[in-house]
Amino acid sequence: MNDETTRLTSDVIRRETHASRAVPATIVAGLVILVCLYVMLEAALKALGQNPWLLGPEATAGWLGALPAGVSASVLAAAGVLIFLVGLLFFLAAILPGRRARLSIPNGRAAVVVDAEVLASSLARRARVAAGVTPEQVLVTIGRRLVDVQVRPTSGIPVNQESVQAAVEDELRRTAIDPVPEVSVAIAQSGVIGQ
Amino acid sequence: MNQTPRTINRILLAVFGLGLMLAGALAMALGVPAVARWWQSTAAQAGQWVSNVLDATTLPGQRDSWLWIVLALLMVLLIILMFAWVANQGKGRSGTLAYDDDDHPVPGSVTINAAVAEQALKAALSERVDLVNSAVSTYEFRGRPALKVKVFPRQGVAPYVVAEEVSALVSALDAVLGVQTPVLISISSGARSRFTRAERVR
Repeated sequence: MNDETTRLTSDVIRRETHASRAVPATIVAGLVILVCLYVMLEAALKALGQNPWLLGPEATAGWLGALPAGVSASVLAAAGVLIFLVGLLFFLAAILPGRRARLSIPNGRAAVVVDAEVLASSLARRARVAAGVTPEQVLVTIGRRLVDVQVRPTSGIPVNQESVQAAVEDELRRTAIDPVPEVSVAIAQSGVIGQ
Repeated sequence: MNQTPRTINRILLAVFGLGLMLAGALAMALGVPAVARWWQSTAAQAGQWVSNVLDATTLPGQRDSWLWIVLALLMVLLIILMFAWVANQGKGRSGTLAYDDDDHPVPGSVTINAAVAEQALKAALSERVDLVNSAVSTYEFRGRPALKVKVFPRQGVAPYVVAEEVSALVSALDAVLGVQTPVLISISSGARSRFTRAERVR
């Protein structure tokens, strides 16, 4: 791979593991378009000397300027809280890092990005084979620094915690994600019957 | 991989969110009498100033200011900009995998259609039993064509194995085409891989 392809590949990995914010952006654009359409209509009516459709610009400005008057205090406060929370939602969508539940696997040729769910199901498979239980008895959760494996053994058949741990760690090492998360294996105290 | 304008998305979202937060905070603060008095006097001053401007811009013989027409046109401009912003989300699909019009060895130009790589990879991937589905598409990334290979493995399939084998296919494609484009291998889980059973025999 030449240098430019390498650089582009690392850019691609960064883009694929972070959110694009296309959905909130589209929502915001839709809201702005609706407001603009209304303002445009009222401004055009005003310019043509027609009567306002719903509320003319002067009436709107007068109502806004007089504000705590004319609206009950609780309604105003509730509307304020609502508007503030919606704004906070968009603001946080913009400034938070926006990491997606995806991991990158080092590869010599391509940018490889894996959904955390896919990796979790492959770890669950290794854990289930090592523990000798059915798929329903294993639950794997992948965080950024910790992989949490929960095994509910079949009643009467003990499960070796170390062997499950070793199997999951081996699978993680083969996957070679960076940084390597820690593995915690929890074997449930009570077993399940009828598996 | 696509050309979604991510920086613009973040800036515009932050601006819009901050604006809404300010408006909401003001509406909440209007419950306080001192803030309400300040708001009403400020609004009265602003209203006075606006009506002065409107009077100053009213042409003789006309009833209203021409600023209303300017406002309506500004709104049209803003609406067009918003549509352009939405249209840029997820843009960037391309139909060309490689293009060369260098006159050096022989004059002429060579274009390799994106369908070549897409169909070759798709055919190679569709034979595999450990994948539920796959999709190959070409994007233009930073002015260069790039391939996106999206594969949906069955439950429990080790992702590093899939990654190794798909990248081997990509290397074979490199050798055939003679050009090396940036490649993204995206190993995802979809509804189909979630509900089909895990593979037992391979």
